[in-house]
Amino acid sequence: MASPRYSLLRTLIPFDIYGGMKLTGKYFGKVLRQANRGPKRTHVVVEYPEVAVTLQPRFRGRLQMIKDEQGEIKCVCCLACEKICPTQVITIEKGKKEGRKTPFPLQYDFEMERCIFCEFCVESCGFDSIILNHQFELAGYDREDFSHGMEGQFQNMFSITPVGHYSVASED
Amino acid sequence: MFKTEEMEINLGPQHPSTHGVLRVKLHLDGETVVRCVPMIGYLHRGVEKICENKTFFQGQVWTDRTDYVASVSNNLGWAEGVEKLFGITVPRRAHYIRTMLTELNRITSHLLWLGTHALDIGAMTVFLYAFREREEILSIFEAFCGARLTTTAFRIGGLREDIPPGLEKQVRAFQARFLDCIEEYETLLTENRIWKKRTIGVALLNAEDAIALGVTGPVLRAAGSTYDIRKVFPYAAYAEMDFDVPTQTAGDTYARYLVRLEEMRQAHRIVNQCLDGLPEGPVMAKLPKVLKSEVNEVYHAIEAPKGELGYYFVGEKGGVNPYRMHIRAPSFINLQALPKMVEGRLLADVIAAIGTLDVVLGEVDR
Repeated sequence: MASPRYSLLRTLIPFDIYGGMKLTGKYFGKVLRQANRGPKRTHVVVEYPEVAVTLQPRFRGRLQMIKDEQGEIKCVCCLACEKICPTQVITIEKGKKEGRKTPFPLQYDFEMERCIFCEFCVESCGFDSIILNHQFELAGYDREDFSHGMEGQFQNMFSITPVGHYSVASED
Repeated sequence: MFKTEEMEINLGPQHPSTHGVLRVKLHLDGETVVRCVPMIGYLHRGVEKICENKTFFQGQVWTDRTDYVASVSNNLGWAEGVEKLFGITVPRRAHYIRTMLTELNRITSHLLWLGTHALDIGAMTVFLYAFREREEILSIFEAFCGARLTTTAFRIGGLREDIPPGLEKQVRAFQARFLDCIEEYETLLTENRIWKKRTIGVALLNAEDAIALGVTGPVLRAAGSTYDIRKVFPYAAYAEMDFDVPTQTAGDTYARYLVRLEEMRQAHRIVNQCLDGLPEGPVMAKLPKVLKSEVNEVYHAIEAPKGELGYYFVGEKGGVNPYRMHIRAPSFINLQALPKMVEGRLLADVIAAIGTLDVVLGEVDR
């Protein structure tokens, strides 16, 4: 504890407020030196819709199906992703295709409105046929915007969600 | 001519300083609180019941959503609880990485507490500085597991993947400047006369009452107890770490503030030790394809940023999901101390008391 004489001095002279103001002033000075008008420009803020945000490589975005080099769908309908999914957003319809030994997904329904982006499906997949891509602009106007199907549909599992095109970044 | 009467008012559920949807029914005599009843349940989702219908593997995603500012701690509690139930031994490297991330998560949780608690009491500046550092740690989580808040960081038996290249550098860069950042918060608050007037002697809770109410964590340690599960029942890699348990004796809001700041320094120390002593080896144990439990029960407690976080599992024969799952949520039990802290005190101190308890409503209601 401080001596009574020192604490009286501290009551009269606001050292504490001076210290706090000094810290704030330091950062004000730093901003003035480094912001747009200064010689050395360092931006902290990203002008987001115009400038793309850098994402980490492991970022968990929307579920996407991938094809191999021959353009063939890698998925063999083992239903591992359907079983592991904590919110049951994946429904697969098994089918056959001419000239393909393994089963072929006739329908792969992905209901994004309930997806929690946990990446368990990708982890369970033994054939590396699905990934979580880096798309995060996933807002939609109605429920249909969130259901994804196979190729040929407006929103499908192979391209990025078209609702992303409503963002300012892709307007031009 | 004039008569006085007790008035009943509701604080919340949509009040910005109740940190969520907490409703507190207050009986006031003038500005003095006569009776205080916390009303909870506005965020109840039935997480425990949901987890009983999910497999041990799937249930982890719900633990992200109980205490959403300390989700890595919750993931650790779940993973270690299930490992205890099945007797799985986790590789040493996985333990070290888990400990490091959990301690970083303790820092984020305390930074969020510091910023919002100071903002409630009237100190605006600290909020901005605290969130600047929190952002940096959330980037580390994003680099490790791909998400910032709902991390789902660990897996039963270890980790999904090893730490990515560059993460160690990122953590070390943060570690290098974090102690100076704590100094900045201290400059703004510790000696500030307004902060001291608002916190010293406010929301008192002595150690006896705290133990009787089951309060744990920094709130208990600020009253003089040294109970810390990291020391008493070491889990993960804490047995190999060198750290102190900060305590204070006053048991008021200011003491809790000092304890939490010191805890951040200790967490900084532990993260450094984890990085320096990171052993080589695998990060995942060998697991059977389907985890099927026997008839047994397990309680596993960890020291979450808010207090003792316990996971209780009951297994049935051949079951792939827990027969019964219960979470001992520190926020829920610490909230019991609120009436004890504020009855007979002023209305303005209720805000300080809610802030100092550091409740997260997602965890209170579950």
